Amino acid sequence: MVAQFLGLKLRLLANTFRRSPIQVVGIVIGLIYGLGAAMVAVIGLVGLRFIEVGLAGSITVTLGAVIVLGFLLVPLAFGVDDTLDPRAFSLFGLSTTKLATSLAITALIGVPALVIAIIAVAQVFTWARNPLAVVLAVIGAVVIVATCVLGARVTTSVAAFLLATRRSREITGLIALLVVVSLSPFAAVLATMDWGKNGLKVLASIGGILGWTPLGAVWSAPFEASAGSPGLAVLKALIGIAFVLLLWVVWRALVGRMLVTPQREGRRKSYAGLGWFRFVPHTPAGAVAARSLTYWLRDARYHTSLVAIPIAPFIFVIALAVAGVPGNILALIPVPAMCLFLSWSAHNDIAYDNSAIWLHLASNTSGRADRFGRLVPALILGIPLVIVGSPICAWLYGDWAVLPSIIGVSFCLLLAGLGLSSVISARFPYPAVRPGDSPFAQPQASGTAAGLIQSLSFFAAIVIAVPPLGLAALGLLFGGGWNFAALIAGVVLGIADIYLGVLWGGAIFRRRAPELLAFTLRN
Amino acid sequence: MRRRPAARKPTVRSTRAASAGAAEAVPEFASLPDLVVEPSAEVVLEPQVAIATQPVVAPEPVAVPGPEVEAPASTARPTPAVPKIPRKTPARKPIERTTPAAAPTERETVLVIKDLVKRFGDTVAVDHISLSVPAGSIFGIVGPNGAGKTTTLSIATGLLRPDAGTVTVHGADVWTDPVVAKRNMGVLPDRLRLFDRLTGNQLLYYAGTLRGLDAKTVKQRSADLAAAFGLEDALDRLVADYSAGMTKKVALACAMIHSPRVLILDEPFESVDPVSAANVTEILQKYVAAGGTVVLSSHSMDLIQRICDFVAIVVSGSVLASGTMDDVRGVGSLEEKFVELAGGRKTAEGMEWLHSFSD
Repeated sequence: MVAQFLGLKLRLLANTFRRSPIQVVGIVIGLIYGLGAAMVAVIGLVGLRFIEVGLAGSITVTLGAVIVLGFLLVPLAFGVDDTLDPRAFSLFGLSTTKLATSLAITALIGVPALVIAIIAVAQVFTWARNPLAVVLAVIGAVVIVATCVLGARVTTSVAAFLLATRRSREITGLIALLVVVSLSPFAAVLATMDWGKNGLKVLASIGGILGWTPLGAVWSAPFEASAGSPGLAVLKALIGIAFVLLLWVVWRALVGRMLVTPQREGRRKSYAGLGWFRFVPHTPAGAVAARSLTYWLRDARYHTSLVAIPIAPFIFVIALAVAGVPGNILALIPVPAMCLFLSWSAHNDIAYDNSAIWLHLASNTSGRADRFGRLVPALILGIPLVIVGSPICAWLYGDWAVLPSIIGVSFCLLLAGLGLSSVISARFPYPAVRPGDSPFAQPQASGTAAGLIQSLSFFAAIVIAVPPLGLAALGLLFGGGWNFAALIAGVVLGIADIYLGVLWGGAIFRRRAPELLAFTLRN
Repeated sequence: MRRRPAARKPTVRSTRAASAGAAEAVPEFASLPDLVVEPSAEVVLEPQVAIATQPVVAPEPVAVPGPEVEAPASTARPTPAVPKIPRKTPARKPIERTTPAAAPTERETVLVIKDLVKRFGDTVAVDHISLSVPAGSIFGIVGPNGAGKTTTLSIATGLLRPDAGTVTVHGADVWTDPVVAKRNMGVLPDRLRLFDRLTGNQLLYYAGTLRGLDAKTVKQRSADLAAAFGLEDALDRLVADYSAGMTKKVALACAMIHSPRVLILDEPFESVDPVSAANVTEILQKYVAAGGTVVLSSHSMDLIQRICDFVAIVVSGSVLASGTMDDVRGVGSLEEKFVELAGGRKTAEGMEWLHSFSD
């Protein structure tokens, strides 16, 4: 059975050379490129045999983890044409385990598998330093190949099978976005740090962390053995093996599922059930929140701001870096800046509804419910951002004492900005892109008022956050209690501001609702 | 008078979901037909209970679960003020009501529009329009394009602020007491967007929740409305992907979900297919038979003439004629009267070039 599959795969490979000459050239170039990369890696890995253990470990673990991640993500991101899709064999009546095994083994034939096999063997040389290290490196070589090949198999099928519909692609896009948001502080650090001075130290700490993840554990095991900690080495080898077993279980389950599930047609944009409405309290504010969340995820106009929010702060950072601000100060900027942009993105929310806002008028929705509900998506994104991002910023800055300040300032910018947006979107809406139009279309007659309102709402949020910003500055200069003062000031001010903003905005909404509708109709 | 007693009574009998309070009123009413107070007493009392206990829309296609059907006898004499049947569409005792047209002046006026004025720049869109709509009737507003119908209805529903004049819904001023007034109104505006990135199901749920209904009721009523309007298959699709007629129907469903006393519908039949239009008409007629009131605008004279008890002809922001259908249209059809009043008929002179085909 396995032999037949291998034969099939070889024939498929051979057939690729029977296509048009240009394609053959492309394949050959790919092959040469892959083998060339493998050769460079082999030379490098052999060379690492002769340098200090710690550095060699940091390099192999970091690069190894990146390679494994690549095998997992490339099929997901780009979608690979899968010649051996399990569904192609569904009519042959093979047992799931047999099919899964055969397909997994056939996946070993191919350029990427060849390249990773060469690299995996080469890393044995790097760790030919003591017997345990060699044993673990040899086991590791097998595990590395299995992880990469099986991982790619799984993600290829996931991409072909589960992500074939529009809706799931939207969700993938969102997840990718969240990953980018959460990784962006890292990127900031990497971009701003002084590689000449701290490069090795950073590499060592990155390698140290990755060595404990399934991606890097198996690469790290022989390193630990060489560095004289056999216990850790065995533990990490076990992590790597466990990950392969997990991938196998997932692969087997996926094959079983695919065999009995017909090709998923893109259901014509069918969204079963109530979606977010199920997860919010059954109140007008909850309903508005669920509606807003749905729009943030479904409406391309919100997607643009979701993409811009994680990117914009780095333009800040780069500008300041060019101006000569030291790197560790720059590390403090991304999270507060993202909070500012996030809260600012809600400042023209009513205009996005266009005339659909009539429903809120006709049902006499309270201004507060309307105002608060709209802020919920930004809160759901922003609060985790502060909680996760602030420690990363503090770590990058190099002094944990600033953590309370970062949290205080970020929190204040987020909440105060949202409070402000709540008032401004009710009082000063300006024309926005209409629903269904391209998010990059320019609204008709936006005028100068739009620019004024945009800058006003942006800088007013910073002005409101001056107390925690000032205290944070004192904290940076003198340390100690000032940082906690900044935290308290930021949280108190932020909560007070969002509360008042919702009340005030709600009162404006109640008073001016017909005028708001008339405004949206003029667009 | 071809429509009312003949057409309405059967529907009253078959599906009329009258409240317990109204049920109580029946025998008295039947035995004292000449008591002048009675009709208004019935009208006042009944919609209150109706609001609390039943979706006024009790469309026939909706299956009434068997166990919920209560014997009329068991609901013989509950206190009218305390509704005890929080379910939807329990079977009720059929009720005889006065023929509305027989005594229109005695009925409570549920919507009063007084002296409305609205200007847009130099143009006067609404020029002192006054209308009063009796409870339990279908009131049609007709007029040529740009006559101010939509403006009037927008003001009446609280979507547009008038320059002068008042609107009262069941005694509550739309602009000073919007909580009560808007609770009693179901609104279908013309040419306003919906939150169309929601699915039909989500939109109905959203509308119901904003109206303060509890989750169970919203789900139940959404399902009923979807069945009544033939939207079941479309509930999980985005409203943005609906056809124009389906969009209109889901908007109508949103207007009805909180069982208001008054439905104010701007062009409810526009781009709705004939079968759906017949369904909608039937739903509206049952709603009116149960004591509800409908105000609608349309360009279809035929349809207005067929289903409306009262009609107002609005031209250039003023009411040129209003009253019962028979009074307004006189001997001819509504269309003839309308064309006569609107005065817009022009003989096609100077169009002879159109008849000398240039090929």
